[in-house]
Amino acid sequence: MNWRIIELQSNTAAMNMAIDDAVARFVKQGSSKPTIRFYTWKPSAVSIGRFQSLEHEVNVKRCEGLGIDYVRRITGGGAVYHDSGGEITYSVIGPETMFPKGIRESYSCICQWVIKGLSNIGIWAEFAPINDILVEGKKISGNAQTRRNGILLQHGTVLYDLNIKKMFGVLKVSKAKISDKMIKNVEDRVTSVIRHRPVSSRELYNALLKGFTEGKEYEMGVISKEEMEFADELAENTYSSKEWNFSR
Amino acid sequence: MKGFAEMKVPGGKLLAIRVDYSDRIDKIEILGDFFIHPEECLEAIENSLTGIEAASSASEIVEKVDAIVARYDAELIGVNSQAIADTIKSALK
Repeated sequence: MNWRIIELQSNTAAMNMAIDDAVARFVKQGSSKPTIRFYTWKPSAVSIGRFQSLEHEVNVKRCEGLGIDYVRRITGGGAVYHDSGGEITYSVIGPETMFPKGIRESYSCICQWVIKGLSNIGIWAEFAPINDILVEGKKISGNAQTRRNGILLQHGTVLYDLNIKKMFGVLKVSKAKISDKMIKNVEDRVTSVIRHRPVSSRELYNALLKGFTEGKEYEMGVISKEEMEFADELAENTYSSKEWNFSR
Repeated sequence: MKGFAEMKVPGGKLLAIRVDYSDRIDKIEILGDFFIHPEECLEAIENSLTGIEAASSASEIVEKVDAIVARYDAELIGVNSQAIADTIKSALK
Protein backbone atom coordinates (compact mmCIF):
# COMPACT_ATOMS: atom_id res chain seq x y z
CA MET A 1 0.00 0.00 0.00
CA ASN A 2 1.28 3.44 -0.94
CA TRP A 3 1.39 5.93 1.92
CA ARG A 4 1.01 9.70 1.78
CA ILE A 5 3.36 11.55 4.09
CA ILE A 6 2.45 15.04 5.26
CA GLU A 7 5.48 17.12 6.23
CA LEU A 8 5.79 18.70 9.66
CA GLN A 9 3.34 21.59 9.99
CA SER A 10 2.01 23.75 12.83
CA ASN A 11 -1.67 24.34 13.54
CA THR A 12 -4.03 25.31 16.32
CA ALA A 13 -5.29 22.48 18.53
CA ALA A 14 -8.73 22.49 16.92
CA MET A 15 -7.26 22.40 13.41
CA ASN A 16 -4.82 19.60 14.25
CA MET A 17 -7.67 17.42 15.49
CA ALA A 18 -9.92 18.46 12.62
CA ILE A 19 -7.32 17.54 9.98
CA ASP A 20 -6.83 14.07 11.49
CA ASP A 21 -10.60 13.59 11.54
CA ALA A 22 -11.08 14.89 7.99
CA VAL A 23 -8.26 12.75 6.62
CA ALA A 24 -9.74 9.66 8.30
CA ARG A 25 -13.06 10.30 6.56
CA PHE A 26 -11.40 10.81 3.16
CA VAL A 27 -9.29 7.67 3.61
CA LYS A 28 -12.51 5.81 4.41
CA GLN A 29 -14.11 7.10 1.19
CA GLY A 30 -11.06 5.99 -0.76
CA SER A 31 -10.39 9.53 -1.95
CA SER A 32 -7.18 9.86 0.10
CA LYS A 33 -4.30 7.48 0.59
CA PRO A 34 -3.37 6.09 3.99
CA THR A 35 -1.62 8.99 5.63
CA ILE A 36 1.15 9.71 8.09
CA ARG A 37 1.18 13.30 9.38
CA PHE A 38 3.73 15.10 11.51
CA TYR A 39 2.71 18.24 13.33
CA THR A 40 3.27 20.65 16.16
CA TRP A 41 0.83 22.84 18.07
CA LYS A 42 0.77 26.60 17.69
CA PRO A 43 -0.05 28.02 20.14
CA SER A 44 0.90 25.43 22.76
CA ALA A 45 -2.10 23.36 23.77
CA VAL A 46 -3.56 20.77 26.08
CA SER A 47 -5.41 17.84 24.57
CA ILE A 48 -7.58 15.60 26.72
CA GLY A 49 -8.80 12.07 26.13
CA ARG A 50 -12.26 11.34 24.80
CA PHE A 51 -13.56 10.23 28.22
CA GLN A 52 -11.96 12.85 30.42
CA SER A 53 -13.59 15.87 32.00
CA LEU A 54 -11.95 19.06 30.72
CA GLU A 55 -12.53 20.96 33.94
CA HIS A 56 -11.33 18.03 36.04
CA GLU A 57 -8.07 17.71 34.08
CA VAL A 58 -7.22 21.20 32.91
CA ASN A 59 -6.88 24.61 34.51
CA VAL A 60 -8.99 26.25 31.83
CA LYS A 61 -8.69 29.79 33.19
CA ARG A 62 -4.91 29.57 33.29
CA CYS A 63 -4.85 28.23 29.73
CA GLU A 64 -6.98 31.14 28.56
CA GLY A 65 -4.78 33.60 30.43
CA LEU A 66 -1.61 32.19 28.87
CA GLY A 67 -3.08 31.84 25.39
CA ILE A 68 -2.84 28.05 25.52
CA ASP A 69 -5.38 26.11 23.44
CA TYR A 70 -7.37 23.17 24.74
CA VAL A 71 -9.18 20.46 22.83
CA ARG A 72 -10.88 17.11 23.36
CA ARG A 73 -9.48 14.32 21.20
CA ILE A 74 -11.58 11.61 19.57
CA THR A 75 -9.17 9.09 21.05
CA GLY A 76 -9.10 7.84 24.63
CA GLY A 77 -6.10 8.23 26.90
CA GLY A 78 -4.96 11.05 29.11
CA ALA A 79 -4.39 14.78 29.13
CA VAL A 80 -1.25 15.92 27.32
CA TYR A 81 0.46 19.30 27.34
CA HIS A 82 1.78 20.01 23.84
CA ASP A 83 4.45 22.68 24.08
CA SER A 84 4.82 24.28 20.65
CA GLY A 85 8.59 23.85 20.62
CA GLY A 86 8.76 20.89 22.95
CA GLU A 87 7.45 17.94 21.02
CA ILE A 88 6.56 16.42 17.67
CA THR A 89 3.15 14.83 17.22
CA TYR A 90 2.34 12.31 14.54
CA SER A 91 -0.80 10.64 13.30
CA VAL A 92 -1.18 7.42 11.37
CA ILE A 93 -4.44 6.98 9.47
CA GLY A 94 -5.25 3.94 7.38
CA PRO A 95 -7.64 1.04 6.87
CA GLU A 96 -7.67 -1.34 9.86
CA THR A 97 -6.69 -4.15 7.52
CA MET A 98 -3.21 -2.62 7.17
CA PHE A 99 -2.49 -3.23 10.85
CA PRO A 100 -2.58 -6.15 13.28
CA LYS A 101 -6.16 -6.91 14.29
CA GLY A 102 -5.63 -6.65 18.04
CA ILE A 103 -5.52 -3.14 19.47
CA ARG A 104 -2.53 -3.90 21.70
CA GLU A 105 -0.65 -5.45 18.77
CA SER A 106 -1.37 -2.49 16.51
CA TYR A 107 -0.04 -0.08 19.15
CA SER A 108 3.11 -2.17 19.23
CA CYS A 109 3.38 -2.17 15.42
CA ILE A 110 3.14 1.62 15.02
CA CYS A 111 5.27 2.33 18.07
CA GLN A 112 8.08 0.34 16.44
CA TRP A 113 8.25 3.08 13.78
CA VAL A 114 8.83 5.65 16.53
CA ILE A 115 11.44 3.42 18.15
CA LYS A 116 13.19 3.04 14.79
CA GLY A 117 13.10 6.80 14.36
CA LEU A 118 14.66 7.43 17.75
CA SER A 119 17.36 4.85 17.03
CA ASN A 120 18.35 6.96 14.01
CA ILE A 121 19.62 9.60 16.45
CA GLY A 122 21.15 7.05 18.79
CA ILE A 123 18.34 6.85 21.33
CA TRP A 124 17.42 3.31 22.31
CA ALA A 125 13.77 3.11 23.21
CA GLU A 126 11.36 0.29 24.02
CA PHE A 127 7.64 -0.24 23.70
CA ALA A 128 5.81 -0.35 27.03
CA PRO A 129 2.29 -1.73 26.65
CA ILE A 130 -0.38 -0.50 26.44
CA ASN A 131 0.55 2.68 24.63
CA ASP A 132 3.86 4.14 25.79
CA ILE A 133 7.46 4.24 24.63
CA LEU A 134 10.22 4.43 27.23
CA VAL A 135 13.89 5.38 27.24
CA GLU A 136 15.84 4.09 30.24
CA GLY A 137 12.54 3.33 31.93
CA LYS A 138 11.09 6.83 31.44
CA LYS A 139 8.26 7.80 29.11
CA ILE A 140 9.26 9.67 25.97
CA SER A 141 6.19 9.00 23.86
CA GLY A 142 2.48 8.45 24.54
CA ASN A 143 -0.02 7.16 21.99
CA ALA A 144 -3.78 6.98 21.56
CA GLN A 145 -5.80 5.11 18.99
CA THR A 146 -9.35 4.91 17.71
CA ARG A 147 -10.99 2.79 15.07
CA ARG A 148 -14.03 4.10 13.24
CA ASN A 149 -15.76 2.66 10.20
CA GLY A 150 -12.85 0.38 9.43
CA ILE A 151 -10.25 3.15 9.73
CA LEU A 152 -7.51 3.17 12.36
CA LEU A 153 -6.29 6.53 13.59
CA GLN A 154 -3.40 6.66 16.01
CA HIS A 155 -1.80 9.80 17.21
CA GLY A 156 1.18 10.07 19.46
CA THR A 157 3.79 12.51 20.64
CA VAL A 158 7.54 12.37 21.03
CA LEU A 159 8.85 14.68 23.72
CA TYR A 160 11.71 16.82 22.44
CA ASP A 161 12.15 19.10 25.44
CA LEU A 162 10.24 19.12 28.67
CA ASN A 163 8.88 22.16 30.46
CA ILE A 164 7.52 20.61 33.64
CA LYS A 165 6.66 23.92 35.24
CA LYS A 166 4.52 24.98 32.28
CA MET A 167 2.98 21.52 32.03
CA PHE A 168 1.83 21.46 35.64
CA GLY A 169 0.70 25.06 35.43
CA VAL A 170 -2.11 23.97 33.15
CA LEU A 171 -2.75 20.32 34.05
CA LYS A 172 -4.52 19.27 37.23
CA VAL A 173 -3.13 16.06 38.67
CA SER A 174 -5.69 13.84 40.36
CA LYS A 175 -5.26 12.62 43.91
CA ALA A 176 -5.57 9.02 42.70
CA LYS A 177 -2.58 9.50 40.47
CA ILE A 178 -0.49 11.19 43.15
CA SER A 179 -1.33 8.51 45.68
CA ASP A 180 -0.45 5.69 43.29
CA LYS A 181 2.73 4.37 44.83
CA MET A 182 3.93 3.10 41.48
CA ILE A 183 4.09 6.64 40.18
CA LYS A 184 6.83 8.82 41.58
CA ASN A 185 7.36 12.43 40.67
CA VAL A 186 7.20 13.37 37.02
CA GLU A 187 10.93 13.83 36.54
CA ASP A 188 11.42 10.21 37.54
CA ARG A 189 8.99 8.94 34.96
CA VAL A 190 9.17 11.28 31.95
CA THR A 191 12.11 12.13 29.72
CA SER A 192 12.75 13.95 26.45
CA VAL A 193 15.02 13.65 23.43
CA ILE A 194 17.21 16.59 24.39
CA ARG A 195 18.15 14.87 27.66
CA HIS A 196 19.70 12.03 25.69
CA ARG A 197 21.05 13.58 22.48
CA PRO A 198 21.94 17.21 21.61
CA VAL A 199 19.92 17.25 18.37
CA SER A 200 17.73 19.99 16.94
CA SER A 201 13.98 19.43 16.64
CA ARG A 202 14.50 19.33 12.85
CA GLU A 203 16.97 16.48 13.28
CA LEU A 204 14.43 14.67 15.44
CA TYR A 205 11.78 15.16 12.76
CA ASN A 206 14.08 13.83 10.03
CA ALA A 207 14.92 10.81 12.19
CA LEU A 208 11.23 10.10 12.80
CA LEU A 209 10.39 10.58 9.14
CA LYS A 210 13.01 7.97 8.23
CA GLY A 211 11.77 5.61 10.95
CA PHE A 212 8.16 5.88 9.81
CA THR A 213 8.86 5.47 6.09
CA GLU A 214 11.61 2.83 6.06
CA GLY A 215 10.50 -0.19 4.06
CA LYS A 216 7.28 1.48 2.92
CA GLU A 217 6.13 2.73 -0.47
CA TYR A 218 5.29 6.37 0.04
CA GLU A 219 5.19 9.82 -1.47
CA MET A 220 5.38 13.22 0.15
CA GLY A 221 1.96 14.84 -0.19
CA VAL A 222 -0.27 17.62 1.00
CA ILE A 223 -3.70 17.85 2.58
CA SER A 224 -6.08 18.29 -0.36
CA LYS A 225 -8.27 21.36 -0.82
CA GLU A 226 -11.35 19.23 -0.12
CA GLU A 227 -9.84 17.80 3.05
CA MET A 228 -8.90 21.30 4.23
CA GLU A 229 -12.41 22.63 3.58
CA PHE A 230 -13.88 19.81 5.60
CA ALA A 231 -11.24 20.25 8.33
CA ASP A 232 -12.12 23.98 8.53
CA GLU A 233 -15.75 23.04 9.16
CA LEU A 234 -14.83 20.45 11.79
CA ALA A 235 -12.43 22.85 13.51
CA GLU A 236 -15.07 25.53 13.75
CA ASN A 237 -18.16 23.46 14.50
CA THR A 238 -16.72 20.62 16.58
CA TYR A 239 -13.20 20.99 17.90
CA SER A 240 -13.56 24.67 18.89
CA SER A 241 -17.02 24.19 20.33
CA LYS A 242 -17.95 24.18 24.01
CA GLU A 243 -20.41 21.37 23.29
CA TRP A 244 -17.55 19.06 22.30
CA ASN A 245 -14.74 20.26 24.56
CA PHE A 246 -16.86 20.55 27.70
CA SER A 247 -19.07 17.55 26.93
CA ARG A 248 -17.76 15.84 30.06
CA MET B 1 -27.27 14.24 45.92
CA LYS B 2 -23.99 14.36 44.08
CA GLY B 3 -21.23 11.79 44.39
CA PHE B 4 -17.69 11.53 43.11
CA ALA B 5 -15.03 8.86 43.43
CA GLU B 6 -11.86 7.99 41.59
CA MET B 7 -9.38 5.16 41.55
CA LYS B 8 -6.29 3.99 39.73
CA VAL B 9 -7.29 0.66 38.25
CA PRO B 10 -4.61 -1.84 39.31
CA GLY B 11 -2.40 -2.38 36.27
CA GLY B 12 -4.64 -0.01 34.33
CA LYS B 13 -5.67 3.60 33.96
CA LEU B 14 -7.40 6.29 36.01
CA LEU B 15 -11.14 5.98 36.49
CA ALA B 16 -13.53 8.53 37.99
CA ILE B 17 -17.29 8.47 38.52
CA ARG B 18 -19.47 11.57 38.78
CA VAL B 19 -23.04 10.78 39.78
CA ASP B 20 -26.29 12.57 40.62
CA TYR B 21 -28.64 10.35 42.61
CA SER B 22 -31.60 10.07 44.92
CA ASP B 23 -32.96 6.58 45.51
CA ARG B 24 -31.98 5.98 41.89
CA ILE B 25 -29.07 7.09 39.71
CA ASP B 26 -30.31 10.20 37.89
CA LYS B 27 -27.13 10.95 35.93
CA ILE B 28 -23.78 9.23 35.71
CA GLU B 29 -20.51 10.02 33.97
CA ILE B 30 -17.69 7.50 33.69
CA LEU B 31 -14.47 9.47 33.26
CA GLY B 32 -10.80 8.67 32.86
CA ASP B 33 -7.80 8.05 30.66
CA PHE B 34 -8.77 4.51 29.71
CA PHE B 35 -9.69 3.26 26.23
CA ILE B 36 -12.93 1.68 25.06
CA HIS B 37 -13.31 0.48 21.49
CA PRO B 38 -15.75 1.40 20.07
CA GLU B 39 -15.96 4.63 22.06
CA GLU B 40 -19.78 4.85 21.73
CA CYS B 41 -19.99 1.88 24.11
CA LEU B 42 -19.24 4.14 27.08
CA GLU B 43 -22.33 6.29 26.54
CA ALA B 44 -24.39 3.13 26.21
CA ILE B 45 -23.01 1.91 29.55
CA GLU B 46 -23.89 5.25 31.17
CA ASN B 47 -27.40 5.09 29.70
CA SER B 48 -27.91 1.54 30.97
CA LEU B 49 -26.93 2.60 34.50
CA THR B 50 -29.14 5.69 34.54
CA GLY B 51 -32.30 4.93 36.49
CA ILE B 52 -31.03 1.89 38.39
CA GLU B 53 -31.47 1.82 42.17
CA ALA B 54 -28.70 3.58 44.04
CA ALA B 55 -28.63 0.58 46.37
CA SER B 56 -27.76 -1.80 43.50
CA SER B 57 -24.96 -4.18 44.41
CA ALA B 58 -21.57 -4.14 42.69
CA SER B 59 -22.35 -7.47 41.06
CA GLU B 60 -25.61 -6.12 39.61
CA ILE B 61 -23.68 -3.18 38.14
CA VAL B 62 -20.99 -5.51 36.74
CA GLU B 63 -23.72 -7.54 35.06
CA LYS B 64 -25.19 -4.44 33.40
CA VAL B 65 -21.81 -3.20 32.20
CA ASP B 66 -20.82 -6.62 30.87
CA ALA B 67 -24.11 -6.90 28.95
CA ILE B 68 -23.44 -3.63 27.10
CA VAL B 69 -19.80 -4.54 26.46
CA ALA B 70 -20.96 -7.83 24.94
CA ARG B 71 -23.63 -6.10 22.84
CA TYR B 72 -21.03 -3.72 21.36
CA ASP B 73 -18.38 -6.46 21.16
CA ALA B 74 -16.27 -3.81 22.87
CA GLU B 75 -12.72 -3.98 24.12
CA LEU B 76 -11.91 -2.23 27.40
CA ILE B 77 -8.27 -1.26 27.90
CA GLY B 78 -7.02 -0.05 31.25
CA VAL B 79 -10.44 -0.42 32.88
CA ASN B 80 -12.89 -3.25 33.57
CA SER B 81 -16.47 -3.74 34.70
CA GLN B 82 -15.49 -4.62 38.28
CA ALA B 83 -13.48 -1.40 38.64
CA ILE B 84 -16.38 0.61 37.22
CA ALA B 85 -18.82 -1.03 39.66
CA ASP B 86 -16.55 -0.58 42.68
CA THR B 87 -15.95 3.09 41.88
CA ILE B 88 -19.68 3.70 41.40
CA LYS B 89 -20.34 2.14 44.80
CA SER B 90 -17.72 4.46 46.33
CA ALA B 91 -19.28 7.49 44.64
CA LEU B 92 -22.70 6.54 46.01
CA LYS B 93 -21.54 6.38 49.66
